[in-house]
Amino acid sequence: MSSPRGNPPPAAGGSRAGDADSADRPPPPVPASGHPAGRTGWVEWLEQRLNLTEIFSFLTHFGLVYAPIDRSRPVREVVRELATQPVPSYARGPRVLGLLAAILFGLEALTGVLLAYYYRPTPEAAFESTRTIVRDLPAGWFIHEMHAWGAYLLVAVVVLRLLRLFWDGLYRAPREVLWWSAVILAWLVLQLDFTGRLLTWDARSYWSTVRGMEVVWALPVVGPVLAFLLGGRVVNEDVLIRFYVLHLLVLPAFYLTFVYLTFSTLRRVGLSPPADSGPEGTVTFRHHLYSMLILSVLLFGVLVTLATLLPFGFAGPADPYSTPLGVRPPWYMLAPYALFQRLPLPAWVTGLLLLGAAVAVLLLPLWIRERGVLEPRRLRTAGVAALAVWAALSVVGMLIDRR
Amino acid sequence: MARRGMAGRLGEVVVALALACATGPAARAQPSDVISHPGSSPAQASNAAGRCGVCHPRERVLFEKSRHAQEDIHCVSCHGGDDRTLDQGVAHGSGFRGRPARSAIPALCASCHASEERMRAYNLPVDQFALYQTSGHGRRLASGDTRVAVCSDCHGAHDILPPSDPASYVFALNVPKTCGRCHGDSTLMRPRGRRDAYREYQASVHAHELFDKGNPRAPTCVSCHGVHGAAPPQVGDVDKVCGQCHTAERRYFVAGPHREGLTRAGQPECASCHGDHAIQAARPERLSTLCSQCHGEPSQQARLGRRLWTEYRAAAQEVDKAAAILERAEAVPLQTADYRARLEEARTYLRESLPAAHGMNEETVSGFTLRARWVSAEIEHEIYGKLGNLRTRKFVLILFWFYVLLTILVLRRFRGRATRVE
Repeated sequence: MSSPRGNPPPAAGGSRAGDADSADRPPPPVPASGHPAGRTGWVEWLEQRLNLTEIFSFLTHFGLVYAPIDRSRPVREVVRELATQPVPSYARGPRVLGLLAAILFGLEALTGVLLAYYYRPTPEAAFESTRTIVRDLPAGWFIHEMHAWGAYLLVAVVVLRLLRLFWDGLYRAPREVLWWSAVILAWLVLQLDFTGRLLTWDARSYWSTVRGMEVVWALPVVGPVLAFLLGGRVVNEDVLIRFYVLHLLVLPAFYLTFVYLTFSTLRRVGLSPPADSGPEGTVTFRHHLYSMLILSVLLFGVLVTLATLLPFGFAGPADPYSTPLGVRPPWYMLAPYALFQRLPLPAWVTGLLLLGAAVAVLLLPLWIRERGVLEPRRLRTAGVAALAVWAALSVVGMLIDRR
Repeated sequence: MARRGMAGRLGEVVVALALACATGPAARAQPSDVISHPGSSPAQASNAAGRCGVCHPRERVLFEKSRHAQEDIHCVSCHGGDDRTLDQGVAHGSGFRGRPARSAIPALCASCHASEERMRAYNLPVDQFALYQTSGHGRRLASGDTRVAVCSDCHGAHDILPPSDPASYVFALNVPKTCGRCHGDSTLMRPRGRRDAYREYQASVHAHELFDKGNPRAPTCVSCHGVHGAAPPQVGDVDKVCGQCHTAERRYFVAGPHREGLTRAGQPECASCHGDHAIQAARPERLSTLCSQCHGEPSQQARLGRRLWTEYRAAAQEVDKAAAILERAEAVPLQTADYRARLEEARTYLRESLPAAHGMNEETVSGFTLRARWVSAEIEHEIYGKLGNLRTRKFVLILFWFYVLLTILVLRRFRGRATRVE
């Protein structure tokens, strides 16, 4: 299992050359730079960044590909080797946000399945069934609040992880795939949150979805297509059932795929070294596993505390004919909402700007490679400035409909 | 009917032809298939006016819309004469009554409407004329005053419609205006010593209910004064009149000391406190001020009024508190359907305490207010108990954190061992 990866510490050291702290050094030869890969073809380029062989052998497990069976390694030996596998000791704290996201996702899946047992996705029954879950079922409120708070933390963790990757410059070769999957994972989590909050069909969630759909609809070209996929402009039973299917089936499937892609990249290119790197020790994988377990237990404790002490509760059932005061889109849509509401430009121009920004973030690695010489320190400053603008716009969006 | 035989039908055709000629080519250009479908269209009712309508078109238009026109009543039924001819001498000839004298109108209407045989088919009462003769209007008419309401003043002369028709003068929402045509006219009322009751009524809670909320069951003039036997209720009868709707209030009022005292003093019962035409919505806080208006300030009665108001207010506050905590429980959310029902029970007791206050018996009133308070307090207590479960949750949370910390300690130990082994 570990044989195709080789020995990780040298791999980590090797990839360090292309990283944030060492950008002023001349670019190293192979495998950090993508230039030779450009000549040898995209499969080779990808192979330097992903465990393509393992993905391929993963397919053989389903019998899709006929391949010889590896009988040489008994499972006990594999597990023992795994437990003693060295892991760099800096893999903790803010550098394991991805793991936290994975754990939270598992928790969301578990509580989500329990909720789905009683939930009915029609406008007539949605609110009633949610209220039954929260009010009448034993510990239903706990499951519901865990799901809601878990989603809140998941969004926070995924966004923080994106910031951390940006800060440590982990979008550079050979980690482009890591960055892309991180951006897409963040987007998927936001979509999961957006589709999930409508399902309770209470006045607050309903109207915040209506506002959110206005933002989606205003994006040029992409907006109508997206809104069509989400069920149309008017939030009605069609939208509800689509949100339900997306929330339960489609988005989690994509999410799992990209989680797999993330882990595959990590295994191939190694864990990233810290920015202020020095020679640091390694621990065994068993030790690392216990650390992660402790972190998970702590996370679970925090989640339980939040769910118990600060329950979200509900507003009344949604009424499409009466808008409550002070409805806002979900918080992560406040900034685009503020732009659409306050920017003295046609909506399609604003939408184009937003789409451009999104594409720029997604294509950051390629963009960096084109420029090549942009200093990491200046890039960080630019990122912080962009974040400040985003936060300011969110505040503006929050103040728009306040009474 | 016998009069309108072959000749009558022939006459109609002649009239129709004459009308067609008189209205000119524009009318003739219309398709004539109206004639080929007789019976279903209201055009047939136009026959009711006979030939009178040729010279009296305005009356004809009014009459054709009326209920009478649909029931084989013709101009000649009331006015006499002959409607089969256009010759004025013949038409206004034998038995012609012309415009009936005002004093003769009630008897004229009664010639049909007091006849059981004629009215049976319509299931109409036949006592209107007898009632009218007992009314203020009827008695004045009998005494020679012809400027009083007769049948046609309220029902219309030609355009009589049933009271169920919203266009009728006597439809519930139109009744105050119909009465107000005379009773809102001070030149007519002042010489007779009557007030402008119409304007007063318009300011009342009854009028608000009738006009603003459109409730056709709200009391109009006739609800209290009677319809055909209209007369102001006398002292001693006022509580009976009001009690037709306000049954609970009357029950307690009659049992209390006020009825006898007010009747002896010659004061109208309910109206002494509530007013007559300009009745306002009853506000419980008036209990604290109204009593002293008759009984004087440092009196036992004024103190009783204030005590009743205090009791009511305390109960109302308790009910409001229960309602507020119910809202809180709803938002948690807790199961609250049972408590909603019991809150309604408390509200019913509270509401019943207001009619009970008419009996001026403190024990009866506090019986209701105490029950309202008791039920509300019970709701509060039980919901507080359930909200207390939230406190239990917090306690369990502390235990949970002990467990979490213990788990972490154990895991740290395992981790330390894992490091040592390496």
